[in-house]
Amino acid sequence: MLEVKQVSKKYDGGRGVQKIDFSMQRGEIVGFLGPNGAGKTTTMRMITGYLYPTEGIITVDGLSVHDEARKARSKIGYLPEMPPLYPDLTVDSYLKFVAKLRGVPAREQKLRVAEMVSRLGLNGRERQSVRHLSKGYKQRLGLAQAIIHKPDLLVLDEPTSGLDPSQIIEIRSLIRELGENHTVLLSTHILQEVGALCDRVLIINRGELVMDGAPDEIGARMENRFAVTLEVGGERERIETVLGRWAEARGITAEIRTGPPEAGENPVTSLAIDGSEANSSAASTAAPDQDRVSEKGESIMSSDNTKISTIEKTHSENPESLALSNTQISGSVRALLTAGDQQDFRVELFRLLAEADLPILELHKENLTLEDVFLKLTSDPAASAAEDSTVADKPVSLNRSDGAASSETTDSPDANSGGERE
Amino acid sequence: MNRILAISGKELRLYFLTPTSYFAFAIYILMSSFMFYVDFVTYQPSIIDYRLILSDMLFMLLIVIPILTMRLVSEEFRQGTDELLLTSPASVTEVVLGKYLASLGVLMMLLVCNLVYPAVMSLFGNLNMLTLWLSVLGVFLMGASMMAIGLFASSLSQHQMVSAVAGFVLLLLFWLAGSMTSQNETLSAWIEPFSLPDRISNLTKGVINGPDVIFYVSLAVLFVVLSIQVIERKRWR
Repeated sequence: MLEVKQVSKKYDGGRGVQKIDFSMQRGEIVGFLGPNGAGKTTTMRMITGYLYPTEGIITVDGLSVHDEARKARSKIGYLPEMPPLYPDLTVDSYLKFVAKLRGVPAREQKLRVAEMVSRLGLNGRERQSVRHLSKGYKQRLGLAQAIIHKPDLLVLDEPTSGLDPSQIIEIRSLIRELGENHTVLLSTHILQEVGALCDRVLIINRGELVMDGAPDEIGARMENRFAVTLEVGGERERIETVLGRWAEARGITAEIRTGPPEAGENPVTSLAIDGSEANSSAASTAAPDQDRVSEKGESIMSSDNTKISTIEKTHSENPESLALSNTQISGSVRALLTAGDQQDFRVELFRLLAEADLPILELHKENLTLEDVFLKLTSDPAASAAEDSTVADKPVSLNRSDGAASSETTDSPDANSGGERE
Repeated sequence: MNRILAISGKELRLYFLTPTSYFAFAIYILMSSFMFYVDFVTYQPSIIDYRLILSDMLFMLLIVIPILTMRLVSEEFRQGTDELLLTSPASVTEVVLGKYLASLGVLMMLLVCNLVYPAVMSLFGNLNMLTLWLSVLGVFLMGASMMAIGLFASSLSQHQMVSAVAGFVLLLLFWLAGSMTSQNETLSAWIEPFSLPDRISNLTKGVINGPDVIFYVSLAVLFVVLSIQVIERKRWR
């Protein structure tokens, strides 16, 4: 449907995009992600023929956007970041003009305009001038303009920017509907949008394509650790000793969090990211992992000691924990367990805690969210280079961890690579 | 052709929806009727000849045309509607021709407004119809080339005022080409043929001179082509 082959665009300022290369199949909804100034709009403008690339070829249905411009452009519908509206025209006359411009046959024009008006909920506003429409309606009119000629490929540049939540939901459901008959490429910097709408994600940073894949797949591909959040019922000291001993033996980082679950949620997730970064930096600098674990353990212990009083306080106030005490659980501890080697230790953990008669109240696998991936990929180049190296190391580290699990040694990359050398 | 008509239709519609063009028309009608009053009513004896008030009309075009053409392309860039036009199946040539066609329509309206004066004159005596219509043709040709210059000026900037001033300066250069160099004979022999108002004198005398017509037409074509090039260039930025 759409082929973008080795396309570059150079601007005087040195920005632009370099060697973008991807293709889209018919019926796909592809999300185009990237921080501001990464080259999303430039790429979309090249696809729609508004700008010509400095190098490379873009074809739509086999037609070059540059050489067979007229035919290729009639297959594309484009909604720029700012909807291209004439504030002085009325909704009706604007749509009629676009229909004529886009070559809708004369006898169909009226029908098509009416269809667009009803489809995008512009009824009753046909005679209103575009200037007096609200932002949401302007966006709808912009979308109507893009689909009035029933294009094969729909290119939408931040279709939901500046809309209120209910309008965003409406526009999204519209896009989903359009995705049934059209191929859609949409750019956004709202990450949930990609998860909600797209079959595939392209992430662009500093003019280069850095990631291409399905939204959930990307998270898994970038994952270089295994983390679970755990809530265990029981006495605090016992849990700590049981978990601590096991974690140290397995080389798992255990971070014990306290406080009511709701308040504890955010620190846990933020720590998860911290933890992963610590892992990756440790991996990249190849620092002895053992030291790191014990260091962490100490720091956790000390912080726990200071926090015990606050837990007790919060627990007495927390209605949920009161309910828990009714079912004869004296208290609970939340912990984040992170294994740097992606080894799934949940079964092991369950057996351990079952043997110790400590009930698991909650066990949740922490996935790398699209946000984390996005941040990783688009952070400063040195960091992303480090990330790349850890990603590249990944298959190797998987092999190592298998060995590590069987021999019950620590999982540190250093130790493992040492094992590999043997 | 359909696309050219679609664009010129939209432009004409916008002409009647924006206050600027009403303002330009108002100035034009007010000033030219005032000049007509001075030349025909207060200046005695009243001579029944369209050419007497023709020079006033030409001067008014110099002021009104940049105001009428300034928004043609600038406004598209400013509103971002150029993204609609340039990504539509219409080529830049079609877009520019559509806009130029609309500006010619507006020029016709200006001319029709001006025909009120010869109509008033004819109530008081006989008007030479041949010189009248040839003068009108001359004004149309000259106005058409001026509109093309204004269109070109409009494609240079996304600010309407910059376009208007640029258009006015360009037109003024062509206007004064004859008188600017009158001191130096060899220079004026080179520059004078490019003077806009000098070329119209043959037509007002009732003579259709080929080079004059060709001059106006080629000037219009040149600036329309230049506008197309300026806009097309933006794709390569």
